[in-house]
Amino acid sequence: MRRLTSLDELVGFRTRVASAKLIKAETPTLVVSGGTCGQASGANDIMRIVKRCILERDLGDRISLRITGCHGFCQVEPFILVEPGQHLYPNLKMEDVPRVIDAALNGHVETELIYTEPDTGTKYDCQDEIPFFKKQTRTILGTNQKLDPIRIFNFVERDGYAALEKALTKADPGWIIDEVKASGIRGRGGAGFPTGRKWEFARASGQPGQPKFVVCNCDEGDPGAYMDRSLLEGNPHSILEGMMIAGFAIGANHGIIYVRGEYPLAIKHTMIAIRQARELGLLGADILGTGFDFDIEIVRGAGAFVCGEETALIRSVEGFMGEPRQRPPFPITRGIDGFPTCINNVETLANIAVIINNGGAAYAKIGTPGNTGTKIFSLVGKIRNTGLVEVPLGMTIGEVVHDIGGGPPGRAKIKAVQTGGPSGGCIPAARFDLPVDYDSLKEAGSIMGSGGMIVMDEDTCMVDVAKYFMGFLKDESCGKCFTCRKGTQRMYEILEDISEGRGTLDHLGLLEELAVVVKDTSMCGLGQSAANPVLSTLRYFRHEYERHIVDKRCDAFVCKDLVGPPCQSACPVGTEAWRYVAHIGRGEYEEAYRVIREANPFPSVCARACDHQCEERCRAGTSGGDAIAIRALKRFVTDRIDPSAYSPQREEWTHGEPPRVAVVGAGPAGLTAAHALSLKGYRVTVFEAEPEPGGMLYCAIPEYRLPRDVITREIQSLLNDNIEIVCNTSLGTDFSIDSLLDEGYGAVLLALGAHKSRPLGLDNEDVPGVYPSIDFLKAFNQRGEQLAKGRVGVIGGGNSAIDAARTALRQRDVDSVAILYRRTRTEMPAFEEEIEAALQEGITIETLISPTAIKTTSGLFSHLELVRNRLGAPDSSGRRRPLPIAGSEHVIELDTLIVAISEDSGVDCITPARAGGVEVTDWNTVKADPKTLLTSRPEVFAAGDVITGPNTIIDAIADGKRAAVMIDLHIRGQELVRPTEPIKALPYLAPVEIDEGVAQAERVETPRASVEWRKRNFAEVEVGLSMREAHCEAGRCLRCDLEFAERQRSEPRAAGGHPE
Amino acid sequence: MIQLKINGIDVSVDRGTTLLEAATFLGLPIPTLCHMEGLTPYGACRLCVVEIGAPPNSRLVTSCTYPAEEGLTVRTASNRVLRARRMIVELLLASCPQSKTIQDIASAMEVRQQRFRQENEDCILCGRCVRMCSEQMMAGAIGFTGRGQDRAIGTPFDSHSEVCRLCGGCIYVCPACELRCTYTDPEKAICGGCANLAPPCADKPQFDDMMCYMQPCVACEIKKD
Repeated sequence: MRRLTSLDELVGFRTRVASAKLIKAETPTLVVSGGTCGQASGANDIMRIVKRCILERDLGDRISLRITGCHGFCQVEPFILVEPGQHLYPNLKMEDVPRVIDAALNGHVETELIYTEPDTGTKYDCQDEIPFFKKQTRTILGTNQKLDPIRIFNFVERDGYAALEKALTKADPGWIIDEVKASGIRGRGGAGFPTGRKWEFARASGQPGQPKFVVCNCDEGDPGAYMDRSLLEGNPHSILEGMMIAGFAIGANHGIIYVRGEYPLAIKHTMIAIRQARELGLLGADILGTGFDFDIEIVRGAGAFVCGEETALIRSVEGFMGEPRQRPPFPITRGIDGFPTCINNVETLANIAVIINNGGAAYAKIGTPGNTGTKIFSLVGKIRNTGLVEVPLGMTIGEVVHDIGGGPPGRAKIKAVQTGGPSGGCIPAARFDLPVDYDSLKEAGSIMGSGGMIVMDEDTCMVDVAKYFMGFLKDESCGKCFTCRKGTQRMYEILEDISEGRGTLDHLGLLEELAVVVKDTSMCGLGQSAANPVLSTLRYFRHEYERHIVDKRCDAFVCKDLVGPPCQSACPVGTEAWRYVAHIGRGEYEEAYRVIREANPFPSVCARACDHQCEERCRAGTSGGDAIAIRALKRFVTDRIDPSAYSPQREEWTHGEPPRVAVVGAGPAGLTAAHALSLKGYRVTVFEAEPEPGGMLYCAIPEYRLPRDVITREIQSLLNDNIEIVCNTSLGTDFSIDSLLDEGYGAVLLALGAHKSRPLGLDNEDVPGVYPSIDFLKAFNQRGEQLAKGRVGVIGGGNSAIDAARTALRQRDVDSVAILYRRTRTEMPAFEEEIEAALQEGITIETLISPTAIKTTSGLFSHLELVRNRLGAPDSSGRRRPLPIAGSEHVIELDTLIVAISEDSGVDCITPARAGGVEVTDWNTVKADPKTLLTSRPEVFAAGDVITGPNTIIDAIADGKRAAVMIDLHIRGQELVRPTEPIKALPYLAPVEIDEGVAQAERVETPRASVEWRKRNFAEVEVGLSMREAHCEAGRCLRCDLEFAERQRSEPRAAGGHPE
Repeated sequence: MIQLKINGIDVSVDRGTTLLEAATFLGLPIPTLCHMEGLTPYGACRLCVVEIGAPPNSRLVTSCTYPAEEGLTVRTASNRVLRARRMIVELLLASCPQSKTIQDIASAMEVRQQRFRQENEDCILCGRCVRMCSEQMMAGAIGFTGRGQDRAIGTPFDSHSEVCRLCGGCIYVCPACELRCTYTDPEKAICGGCANLAPPCADKPQFDDMMCYMQPCVACEIKKD
């Protein structure tokens, strides 16, 4: 390479390189990303195979290979991108590489390997069409895929060094500074100081003849952020160009790239780039004959997070311990060795060439006023598309997370996004409409930082998050200033106390007080922002802290000391699932039954119709395998053991006449409460509006899921002399709350359930042929009326929609059943196995569709007008809101329509009671204190669906149990507080030995009756497990309880008191 | 000369004067630990914070390092400042409860208890000794090692220093180990009993030149007899 000595030679050189590129025939090019992320995922193997294929098959003339830095879509590494068609082949295996090469040679697309959107299954031939890329503006990052970082020609043919040429031709530093000021760019390192103003100060600073420094800050220490590394690895010349322009603008002759030693590839590429630039005469003395001297050296940081702070960085460059000093004086006036130093972030410098080439005014048009340009974010955490994304500032967080990031990878909803690295804050999902720019993020209690975005879902505990970041900061604080060193340590200690169950409510006040002082009084940016994780989580997730402190529970199941065995904690009634599973493994079925029955009065019902939250949390499932089939094991036990195996102790009321309690509603909540109260000696009268007790179990759950004799047997087992059930008697018509209290009942429990289907709110909803789902199910379950005929449509996506659909399918005159749901299947609230069973039985599910009008023919329902939806921004429930697509309206013919969108509590019947003091919410539920279940009227309690809206059976049972405790306390005149129960040490159950086969067995499939047979009748679909299956399944249990049981056994020994 | 306003008083000071010097000149008390005349300002203990600027854009800065600026408004004892100082003292007490200097500052601020896990450290890492050693004694025998919680003061590689002249200057300037309080109150409580007492040796004319870094102090030993 000949050294260029004048600007004209640079112009000539650039033209030559660019035209050489044009002359070269367009051969297909395989692009492999060989950045650190690519290499870590196996890109080196892919490159080796490609090279070998090219050599072996002598394809050198027909195909070329380009190894680039990171493109940003790290989720799909290792991949091959085929140019010019931009075909992206993600997550390639070595054996698939030859197929990609063949496709590239023949100019077609290998459809089997091409990128497929996991959500919709759509295949995208062209990379730019992929949703991840489509919404981005990849001004800076987009260049990475087009050039090989170690080839300066690649850079020059893409207009590289054009900005330097322009700046040196103008030869006016003031013009450069004006352009940068006009662009409005703010420092990308996080603080957001306007770069133009910084350069202006730097130019004015110092004495003539004194050295000045330009420093590129690549000390990127945030966990989860790596855009600076990718830029330096993928396009080092653009950083050099930016530094040269900065040096020319402020009058500096020395450039320093401060890069952490942990980035060997970035260092290597930068060293190569500096050498090439020197050889070409772009660095050194008298550059291109303009009289401008500039050279760049690399300083490697030793990995201290605090060295990203500018004064600490300067100390580190000078060779001292990296610790900050108090500003002022600012580095602009006193920096390295006391000379003016201008420190810019890598990303800021990468933007400089763009600004100079296109002009500051053009740059200022991107983004929003005050926050111009694009910013690279590293999107990591619980998100489907992990990677670097570049978007204009001012895009909302929701767009970045949902449209580009593709939303959550699993079923758990996204809860928050942590921006700005460890010293940033958490933004809750409710505020995802916040634009990402410096000012809005600061206002929301977070910071832009270097642009890390860590997505968190419901399985993330915010206390734990704050503790994690505080632990990081405590270790990374330099320790010079007292408040940062001790403040972070003390905040960590408090968070540790809270997450381990030792927290008190006073701790929260202290934590907040301390956090504010640390923020106020720390010396450098690290300490000043160190409080952000605590303050922002306290601001948006205080309820999680309080739950940890007051209830000693961690709902995300992260803080181990507050969780215990996950299956037991997940169960609303705290069933010791691990224990009965262990008993099954040991063949002790009666013991197992007693364990189940002790916590849950409806074991047989729950064995069939529970939503098994225990299985969702089962560690065998969350650690990568399949959860233990706990519900099927419960079924195994309850099928074998008679309820008489458990006879609860019944207390007699000793002080005179036993008090009377009225329970309204004989559903799971009411009966549970009645049973529990009767055991304490109360006389309970249960009023039921329907002809049979059972509530929703009886009215709504179809017989094929829950046979009637099971319900009857279960309810019979709960009754005793203290309980009287009065059927066909409803509140509001036959009696009122006042009349009950007048009759001498000491307390009233409202457990009415939610028996009223919510209407669509369309015209003609009352015509024959349109039925609310509860009415439809009741008509069949209670009276055997078969209302569905012909083509049936069911609107809704919950369990009641599936129940209605599957019941309809089994009715005589039905031809077909379709479920119409407004969101996608991922968002359907129904149980997964129910949806699957429905599909097996031939029910079709149409998603992203909403009804708009009900049409009638001669007074009968005949047509349904529908509109297609697309998913928009998430609503308050965290699910994405369906938005109608204009022009997609269409009409389908139906004979029956069942509306199952949701249920309301039938609070109309207690409306007369409202005067009696029971308040009702706007959502048609009874207003009750969530802890004490007391309504606004002192003697009246409420439990179950009537306060929560439609909910699960097990939650209703849990409510019923709690109501019984509260009513007991109320009648005894005690305070309505149930003591918090910390995780108790568990009884020890010796594990059974398992053989190899069990250890490697997969989750047992719940046996189901054959589809063809079952869809014609109402016989139970699910079948119990065999003994061999049950033992095998129980053997798979990881026995998480032993961790907690061992502790109890070892503690006395540790204390030295009781040897065994 | 630079004009500024401290606690509502108009002051004019020389260029380069720090806010602490200016406030001290006016007789406004600002507690300090790491500051010492003759040593370069360090800004480590954060106790001397003052509020500058007008709310809501005001901020806290360490007065020992902040140079007086033309037209600056300074508050040395605003609510925000006092709240911060009290928390800092509480943190100091939690780590280093036996330092009489810290106990006295706490008593003066009416901090009566601390709410953190009690530690018993000897050093608050104010860096006075390090600066004394390098700036006044021209030795540079000791310095900081480690980061964050592991930060400590020591000789290089914790080995015997050949440049140390055993002058004792480091101990002389130490605010934490200079005087020890062995209070009798329960843990975490601050007795404050001796807040306004001068050290005993200061009463006795014959011990005028005595330094109290020896433990137990000679004066105290004599007094016992």
